[in-house]
Amino acid sequence: MARLLRRVPIGILPLLALLAAWELAARAGIYSAALFPSPMEVWSVFTDEGPLLLRHTLASLTRVVVGVSLAFVTAVPLGLLIGRYRTLERLLDGTVQIFRCFPAIALIPLAILFFGIGEKPAIMLIWFAAFWPLLISTIFGVKSVERTLLSVAQVARASDRLVLLDILLPNALPSIITGLRLAAGTGWLTVVTAEMMAVRSGLGYMILYAQQIFRPDEIVAGIIIIGVVGLAFDQLIRVARDRLCRWQEGLVAAP
Amino acid sequence: MSLIDVRHLSKTYARRAETVTALRDVTLKAEPGEFLCLLGVSGCGKSTLLKILAGLEPHSEGTVLVDGRHLQGPHADAAVVFQEHGLFPWMTTRRNVEFNLKARGTGARERRRVAEAMIETVGLSGFSEKYPHELSGGMRQRVGIARALTTNPKLLLMDEPFGALDAQTRSAMQGELLRLWQARRTTVLFVTHSVSEAIVLADRVVVMTPRPGRIRTIIPVDLPRPRDTTAPAFNALVRRALAELHDDLAEAAQ
Repeated sequence: MARLLRRVPIGILPLLALLAAWELAARAGIYSAALFPSPMEVWSVFTDEGPLLLRHTLASLTRVVVGVSLAFVTAVPLGLLIGRYRTLERLLDGTVQIFRCFPAIALIPLAILFFGIGEKPAIMLIWFAAFWPLLISTIFGVKSVERTLLSVAQVARASDRLVLLDILLPNALPSIITGLRLAAGTGWLTVVTAEMMAVRSGLGYMILYAQQIFRPDEIVAGIIIIGVVGLAFDQLIRVARDRLCRWQEGLVAAP
Repeated sequence: MSLIDVRHLSKTYARRAETVTALRDVTLKAEPGEFLCLLGVSGCGKSTLLKILAGLEPHSEGTVLVDGRHLQGPHADAAVVFQEHGLFPWMTTRRNVEFNLKARGTGARERRRVAEAMIETVGLSGFSEKYPHELSGGMRQRVGIARALTTNPKLLLMDEPFGALDAQTRSAMQGELLRLWQARRTTVLFVTHSVSEAIVLADRVVVMTPRPGRIRTIIPVDLPRPRDTTAPAFNALVRRALAELHDDLAEAAQ
């Protein structure tokens, strides 16, 4: 019995319960049907307006991928250098600590002033949101290197380049990937918010527009997509981590 | 010419307000091909001496010559086998063994050839593509030794390499090390706090006193290898080394 229980994906049960409660609440008619769509109505958004949903989803997705990638290629090299060179750390640490406290969302008005409405402000904001967790996790990953490993490199008279690429980067990789998960998470949250103000496409825009044209079913459909895509992102990064960090001792699918 | 020629070496370093003397007036020579063990209790500065010879730490006073040259940082003549975690966990056995050659700019094909040959020499054929966490403690130390030998160092510095191994593996690794040393006649400086390990391995055992580290005495071991650890002559040497160490302990306690 216990073994059988372990095999059943019980994690899905609360979701089914929520779905049932939602259906019941809709049928009970506590709220007017115009304001409170039933699960079936939301489902029909998916079947009837597939192309629309797909277009907005792809718009958001593209922005996040571009913004987070930009953050990755800027934050990781900088983090490697800050983690490696004490002087650079002393120079930049204060600034990093201040900047990472700014919520990207608070910068939306400024981004619109600078770049107008369109792709530019949205991508800049995602870059900003994703940059700090990546930078900080890279620095942490570099600094956690065992001293003995650096001694090995020193005795072998390894070049700075070899130390950075063959020792510090792989040493930081598990931490960088954790940072990437955080970055993708905040990037995804930021894109939805940014699209409500700074762009005229994407899931954030779609949801806000649906509110204006009185389509709660579209709002809920949008929210469901946001959740599912966010989850898929995270799973993808976990798969990548399990592949890249095979060498890690005791790595058995950590959460 | 001696391979190691250390004269009146002292090592002090500042710790907060006080100055700590780690080594005082150490004079020591090692001939090419000689196997020396540095024996002492923990904190006697034996690892510090090893780091100085590796060029990892500067000394404060005296002269240190390796192969006739004054030390200025890490040098091509020495290789080090570290205590425990000297292996890169993200590199396979082969890539770990290749590392010192890669640091010298040796080409990929030559690196691979030398590494594979060395992996076979230390008895790890078939484990080339394993990661360190997939190997046993003894195997990991074999990888560390293989890596150190790839550059044909004149001086092999070993910092308590077998300290974390169980008794049986340790004894097997000692035999293995002697086999490798006899085939190559590299000069070995081996740091240990185990009296019997020092006497199993060394041509001469350098007994050190703690705080500040000085050389108390040097015990030559004229027993044929492989050494019988139960023979009376072996035990006589163990007793002598223990007596030298215990005197120290008694002094240190006062």
